[in-house]
Amino acid sequence: MHIRVDGLTHIYARGTPAERVALRGVNLEIGPGERVGISGPTGSGKSTLVQHIAGLLVPTAGQVLLDGVPAHARTPEARTRRRQVGLAFQFPEAQMFEVTVFREVAFGPRHLGLNTDEIAARVRWALEMVGLDPEAFADRVPFALSGGEMRRVALAGILALQPRVLILDEPTAGLDPRGRADILARLRAWQAQTGATLILVSHHLDEMAGLVDRVVLLADGQVVADGPTRQVLGDGDGLRSVGLSPPPSIALLEALRAAGWPVRTDAVDIEEVVAEIVPCMADQYHTKTQGHRERDNKLYRE
Amino acid sequence: MTPPFIQTVHLEHTYAAEDGRAIPALRGIDLTIHRGEFVALVGPNGSGKSTLARHFNALLLPTAGEVWVDGLSTSDPRHVQAIRQRVGMVFQNPDNQIVAGTVEEDVAFGPENMGIPPAEIRWRVDEALEVVGMTDYRHHPPHMLSGGQKQRVAIAGALATRPHCIVLDEPTSMLDAEGRRQVLQTIRRLNAELGLTIILITQSMDEAALARRVLVMDGGRIVRDGPPEEVLEAPEVEGLGLGRPFATEVARRLRERGIPLPSGLLTVEALAAALLRE
Repeated sequence: MHIRVDGLTHIYARGTPAERVALRGVNLEIGPGERVGISGPTGSGKSTLVQHIAGLLVPTAGQVLLDGVPAHARTPEARTRRRQVGLAFQFPEAQMFEVTVFREVAFGPRHLGLNTDEIAARVRWALEMVGLDPEAFADRVPFALSGGEMRRVALAGILALQPRVLILDEPTAGLDPRGRADILARLRAWQAQTGATLILVSHHLDEMAGLVDRVVLLADGQVVADGPTRQVLGDGDGLRSVGLSPPPSIALLEALRAAGWPVRTDAVDIEEVVAEIVPCMADQYHTKTQGHRERDNKLYRE
Repeated sequence: MTPPFIQTVHLEHTYAAEDGRAIPALRGIDLTIHRGEFVALVGPNGSGKSTLARHFNALLLPTAGEVWVDGLSTSDPRHVQAIRQRVGMVFQNPDNQIVAGTVEEDVAFGPENMGIPPAEIRWRVDEALEVVGMTDYRHHPPHMLSGGQKQRVAIAGALATRPHCIVLDEPTSMLDAEGRRQVLQTIRRLNAELGLTIILITQSMDEAALARRVLVMDGGRIVRDGPPEEVLEAPEVEGLGLGRPFATEVARRLRERGIPLPSGLLTVEALAAALLRE
């Protein structure tokens, strides 16, 4: 699906004392199959923007076009497209209500008018996609699961709709590091298998780095940066200027560079960071030993 | 040696599941925390961190064993109010902790409930807002604040009851990086400048590295207890999948490649300094 955000402005509680401008003329295009991260400080408009992409809000001005059709329109074409956009809010498990895992995941597909066999096949596929064994989990009570398992069930419920666009708002919030790494790996595999568009809203820039190819930064309702992940996250000053802290990898490389080391400062992966540092250490070591040898030679000659 | 501020003796806690099964959340915790300590509590989801923390101010009571706070047993109903006055709690989601229409009313809520005279409430609220750096926002409606600001107001609310200790249960997990920085800086001040005992539950090993003592929980037990530079690099802690602080992990990989670096490098600043010294 092709997403085009066109001069999108959103004002909450317009004309009241609580009026707040959440988006100010945002323009953005996201092509089919792109993996995009959206970040920005609290209150920058991230959540409002993705709710518009899902067609859940009516713009104050401008519009969002999904394959050329206004996302919020009350037409059959718009409804069809909205159905292909899956949006998971933060803590999606808080919205679960069914009595078994199977029924929870089947809820969406049932409302798509699929027959029983198709629904069962989708539930099985979605549970496998999130790493839960359908045999072991289908009949369990969702609320008796661990936090990480509940998160995965909630995610399976959205994947079972087979969206062409999946929007996730802080999908790893509240999970322990192992749970976080697992969810991210599942999402990566799902995206590779389906070729769908993935939009990840997150405060965690380092987490984002492994999953998206492009990062859009919002600040005060406007797009302030939009480019390849490395370029946006590697711009420490740009991040700081909107009140975001650069990932620790960037902070470390910046500190070394400030001390005169010839390192790139846009390495976002821990192995890349190590690969930047190792040659510098080798050079330093070399310089030092060479210094010692010259001194030794000099002593010898004397 | 000063007497312990919090002491648990063979503490056990068992929840009843819907189907009547007993789910043990704490399996015999023996722990002593002294005044002025800064303790981080880490462990996988479901390891019992939050359950343990809720025993520190009698939000939960032991199903076996005992918890003593400043010499008072949490199992004695007469002590509950005195214990809650000594140990304040701050939770994960700032939006669930806001009760009033303005920041200062919100902060006044705790002392009002304790029956403190209005003049003293005024003074306590002003002081608490000053400590967390939110004085300029005292007349603002809390829902208009950023996540980090809301969480600082929640901390001020806990401070206004004049506790000796504040327990924070993943206070930064819903905040952006700037909010995290503000809240962590505030927590460090409470400990370093006011001498408050701090117990910080966190999923972030980088945050745990700020504490002077780290408790690692797994399966309802404390499996490791010591200073961060020892605990966070311990192999059995790695086995719990908690990860390591970023700097520690980079240092480990550099050491594998033959670069001699000392252990206990927990922060980016410490790692950069060690590399530049080499």
